[in-house]
Amino acid sequence: MGLLALGTALDWPDAQKRAQQVREWGIKQLLEIWNKAKYKERDAMLWGDEVEYLVVRYSNEAPKVLLSLRQADILKALAADEELATKGGGVPDLQVVKPQGSNPLPVFHPEFGRFMLEATPGKPWGIGFKELLDVESDMKTRRRIAKEHMESEEYPITLTTFPRLGVPGVFTDPYYPPSGPKLRSQFVPDEIANPHIRFPTLAANIRWRRGRKVQVNVPVFHDVNTPNPWKDPTVNYDLHNWPEDDDVRNGAAPDNFIHMDGMVFGMGSCCLQITFQAKNITEGRKMYDQLSPLGPIMLALTAATPIYKGFLADTDVRWNQISRAVDDRTAEELGEKVSTVLDNITKTPSANEHQPLKESRWRIPKSRYASNSTYISTDPRLRPEYFDPNLVIDESIKAQLLEGGMDDLLATHFAHLFIRDPIVIFNEDLEELDLTKADHFENLQSTNWQHMRFKPPPAGSDIGWRVEFRPMEIQITDFENAAFSVFMVLITRAILSFDLNFYIPIVKVDENMETAHARDAVLEKKFYFRKNPFPNRTPRSTVGSNANSPIASRPATPVSPVEDEYALMTVDEVINGSKSEEHDFPGLIPIVESYLDSVNVDVQTRCELSTYLDLIRKRASGELWTAAKWIRHFVASHPTYKRDSVVDDEITKGLVSAVIDIGEREQAGRGWKGLNVPELARLLGQFRGGCGSNGVKRSSDEIN
Amino acid sequence: MTRIILSTGNIITGGPSIIRKPGAARSNLELINSLRNNFQAAQQDYAGSPTSSNGNKQENGHSAQEDSRPRIDAWTATEDSVLYIPRIDWTAAGLQEDRAQYEITVKLFFLPNTSVAKRAEFIDEALRLVTKELQVENIDLLIASFPGISFEGDCEWEADKINATMGNEQEEVVTWAALESLHEQGKVVRLGIAEFGSEKLQRFINQVKVPPAVDQINIKDCCSVPPPLTKLANSAGIELLTHGDCTDILPSGTLRELLGHGGQGAGILADDEKAQNGLQGNLIPQWVVKYTAFVNYRGVIENKGYFAGAELVNA
Repeated sequence: MGLLALGTALDWPDAQKRAQQVREWGIKQLLEIWNKAKYKERDAMLWGDEVEYLVVRYSNEAPKVLLSLRQADILKALAADEELATKGGGVPDLQVVKPQGSNPLPVFHPEFGRFMLEATPGKPWGIGFKELLDVESDMKTRRRIAKEHMESEEYPITLTTFPRLGVPGVFTDPYYPPSGPKLRSQFVPDEIANPHIRFPTLAANIRWRRGRKVQVNVPVFHDVNTPNPWKDPTVNYDLHNWPEDDDVRNGAAPDNFIHMDGMVFGMGSCCLQITFQAKNITEGRKMYDQLSPLGPIMLALTAATPIYKGFLADTDVRWNQISRAVDDRTAEELGEKVSTVLDNITKTPSANEHQPLKESRWRIPKSRYASNSTYISTDPRLRPEYFDPNLVIDESIKAQLLEGGMDDLLATHFAHLFIRDPIVIFNEDLEELDLTKADHFENLQSTNWQHMRFKPPPAGSDIGWRVEFRPMEIQITDFENAAFSVFMVLITRAILSFDLNFYIPIVKVDENMETAHARDAVLEKKFYFRKNPFPNRTPRSTVGSNANSPIASRPATPVSPVEDEYALMTVDEVINGSKSEEHDFPGLIPIVESYLDSVNVDVQTRCELSTYLDLIRKRASGELWTAAKWIRHFVASHPTYKRDSVVDDEITKGLVSAVIDIGEREQAGRGWKGLNVPELARLLGQFRGGCGSNGVKRSSDEIN
Repeated sequence: MTRIILSTGNIITGGPSIIRKPGAARSNLELINSLRNNFQAAQQDYAGSPTSSNGNKQENGHSAQEDSRPRIDAWTATEDSVLYIPRIDWTAAGLQEDRAQYEITVKLFFLPNTSVAKRAEFIDEALRLVTKELQVENIDLLIASFPGISFEGDCEWEADKINATMGNEQEEVVTWAALESLHEQGKVVRLGIAEFGSEKLQRFINQVKVPPAVDQINIKDCCSVPPPLTKLANSAGIELLTHGDCTDILPSGTLRELLGHGGQGAGILADDEKAQNGLQGNLIPQWVVKYTAFVNYRGVIENKGYFAGAELVNA
C-alpha cells in the first residue's frame, strides 16, 4: 500500500472497453515480476496481521449507538501526530511513514466503510517465539492509539459488523439519507463508503457491470415469535429514485431472507487477516495449498457475525455476505435467463446451463469474493483428482503465461483470476505500460478476494513471495485476535517442519466453506478433512543426497481412491484430534504442541503460547463459546428482546456497551471480573484475569 | 562384547510418532516409536531383493512378518566392530542451507547403571554421529541429562526440595568437565543441563568452570516455575527451557522388546527358539542423543532424530 492513487476513475461503460488492455498489461507486469523473482531464495519467515475496527459513537446518555463516519478526520489526526510519526507509526495513505527503531509504532489505513479503520504493526513480525508474545500488546497499543485520536464518545470496537447498519432511520453520525447515485441502496447512503474516488467507483461499477444492485440476502433466524414466512419489513417496494429500485419488485428480496443491497453490507465487515512470507516461491505455493483446507475450519471457529440490519440471521459468519456484496457477475454469467431477473438464491444455478452465451465469455460459478478454486503447489502429493474439473480460466491468458515461461499450475491460477474484469480503472494509468510497476496486475489480483491470496513480491522491493490467510473473523478482544494469529503462525511452521498434507478435493473446501456458515457450525456441523496428514515415508533407495529435497517420488503406498483420504469431522476433531473408528486424525493443537516440543522455547514463552492454544482448544470443544454464540445469547437474554429476531437500538446499545467495557478492562489489564455482562465467562473463560467467581483461576494467568 | 548403535533417521517428516499424545506431559514414545518404525522401514527397504530400488512397487509390504524376517545382516551393518541397527545411509546426511541459518541442539542422556568413567567416550561417540549426520563442525547447544534426576510433584516448591537430593553431584561435575573442554575447543557453543532445581543448580554453578547457559525443565503446568529457580536463573543468566522427555528415556527392558522377537520387535536378539544367528547376551543401553536442526529465521525444523548406544555383554 502507499498513498492512494488519484486520478480520473472511469465509469463502467468506459472501463469495460479498457478491461482487456488492463488485463494484458497486468499479465505483462506479472511475467516481469515472475521472471525477476522466481529464483528469489532464502527469505526469512516474516508475517503480519491486520486488525479492522468499527468506529462507533456511544454514550451512556444517548438512546442509541451510531456508526461514526469520521474516518477521514481520525486518520488525519493520526497522521498529524508527530510523536507517532517519529516512532515509525502513522498513516501511509496520507504521509510517508518511515520505520523507526526496532519497535516502530503501528500504522493505520482507511477501509471501504467510512466507519472503519485498519491497523497493522509498524514492521512485520519475525518467528522468534518471544516475539510472538509481543503481538497481543501491539494490538492493544494499536487500539489505544486509535482511541486517543478519536473523540471521547467514539470507540474502536472489533465486532465484525454493526448490528444496525442499514436499518430505517438514523444509524450513522452524521446522518445522511439513503438512495444516493453511487450505491443506489435503499438502506444506506453513499456517504457510508470511504469518499476516496476508488471506493464509490468500485461500488458503482460492480452494480453497473452486474446490471442491478448486489443482493446480499441472509436467511433470517426463526425465533418462536418470528413470522413464517418472514418478510423483511424494512424493504421499501415503493421507491422510484433509480432504475435499480425495481430490483425488489423483481424478486430481489425473497421471503425468509434479510435483504441488503449495497457493497457496504459485505465490505463493511471486519476481519482478521494474516500474511506470511515464504522462503521462496515453492514454499509459498505449498503454504497456499496447505492452508486452503484450514480456511473453513478457522472461519467456523472464529464465527462472530449473527446479526444483520437489525435482525438475527440464521448464519454465524460474514463470508457469503461479502461474497454477494461484491458479486459483479451478470445474469448471463450467473447462468440465469437473461430476460428475467431472478434471485440467484431461490433458483437452481444451472437452470440455463446450455443456453448459448450472448455477451459474456463464461458462466462463472463463484463471486470474485469466494473460496479458492484451485491449488498451485509443485508438491508431488497434489493429485489431479483434487482439482475442480469445471474451473473457468482464460485460455489465451494462460497461453501467454506459458509462453512467458510460467508453469502450468501457476498459469492456470492466474488465468482463473484474470477471467474477471478490472472494476476501477484510472484513465491516467492507461497512457503507458510501466513494467517496473504492478498496478495493472494488482488491479485484478487485489479485487479477487479469495480465502487465500498468493502474493508475488511487490515490484522494486526486497519483499519475498507471500501468502495471505483471509477467512478468519475479527474477535472482540485483542487477546483472542492475538491467539488466532499466533496459532496460524505456529500451524504454518508445523506444516513446513512435518511436511504435512491437508489436501482434499478443492470442491470439498468449497462445500466446507458453505457448511461453516451454519448457526453454531463449530459444534453442530462436520467438515471434510484429510484423515492422515503425514507424509509418506520415502524409501531409502530413492533418498537423494539431500535429506529433505523435493523428490519427485512415487507415493510409497499404493494409491487409494481420493474418497478414502478424507472423512467428515467436527471442528473439535480437526483441532483437538479424534479417535473415531474411521480415522485418528491427531488434531492441529497436538501437532502444534509437538512442534513446540521439538524447539527450544523458554518456560514463560511456552506458558503464554499454551494460553493461546488453550483458548482455541476450548472454542473448538465447545467449552467456550464463539462470539456469534455469545452475541446470540446476549440478544436472547436482553429484556427488550421479544423473541421475534429483531435486534433493536436498545439491545445494540447494550451489546456495544458491553464490548466497550470488555475492551477498556483489557486495555487496563484488569481482567473481566465483576463486569455486568451476561455469560462473559462462556466467551473468555478464565483467561487474562478471568471473568467471574466460578471456576479456578488458572495459574497461567498469574504471571501475566 | 558387541557395541550397538541404534538410530531413528530424520523423524521430522516421519509421521505420527512425533506427535504428542494429548495429556502426556513427558514420555519416551517418540524415541521408542521412531526406533521401531525405522527398524521396520529398514527391513522393508533392504529386504532380500533389490526390487525396491526404483519405481516398482513391492508386492509384499509386510516382508517383516514374524516368520519371514529378512536376514539381520541385510538391514544392519557392522563397521569397526560396531553394529548399526539399522544400517545408516550416510549419503543422505547433511543440511540444506548454510550452517549459519541453523540452531543445532543436542541433548545427551546418560542412562542409569552405566559406567561414569566411560561418559567421555559416550560424548565423543554421540557427537561423532550427530556431526556426521548433520555434516556440521559444531553444535550450538548441548544439554546434558544426568540419570536419576527429575523435577516432579504437584507442588513445585516441594519438587525443588526433593530435586536437591537427587542425582550424583560428584559424577555430574566430573562429566561436566569433559563437556567444558568441548566448549573450549569450540565444538559446542553453549552448554546446558536438564532438570536442575534451584538448590542443585546453585551448588553446581559453584563447582564448575563454565556455568550452564540453559536449564531444561519439565513442569506439568509449565507456568508454575518455583520462584527460587526463576530468581537464580535470572541472576545467573540461565535460560529456563521446556522439554517433554521422561527421566529414564531408554530402559533396558524397553530396548530388549524393541530388538526381540515379540509382537513388534525387530527380531535381532536370540530370545526365541526360531531365532537363528540372533545376538546373545545381556543388553545394556548406555546413552541416547537427540539432535535437532532448526532453521532460525524461518522457524522450521529440518532434521530431528536420535542415536542410542548400547552394549551387548556376554552372559
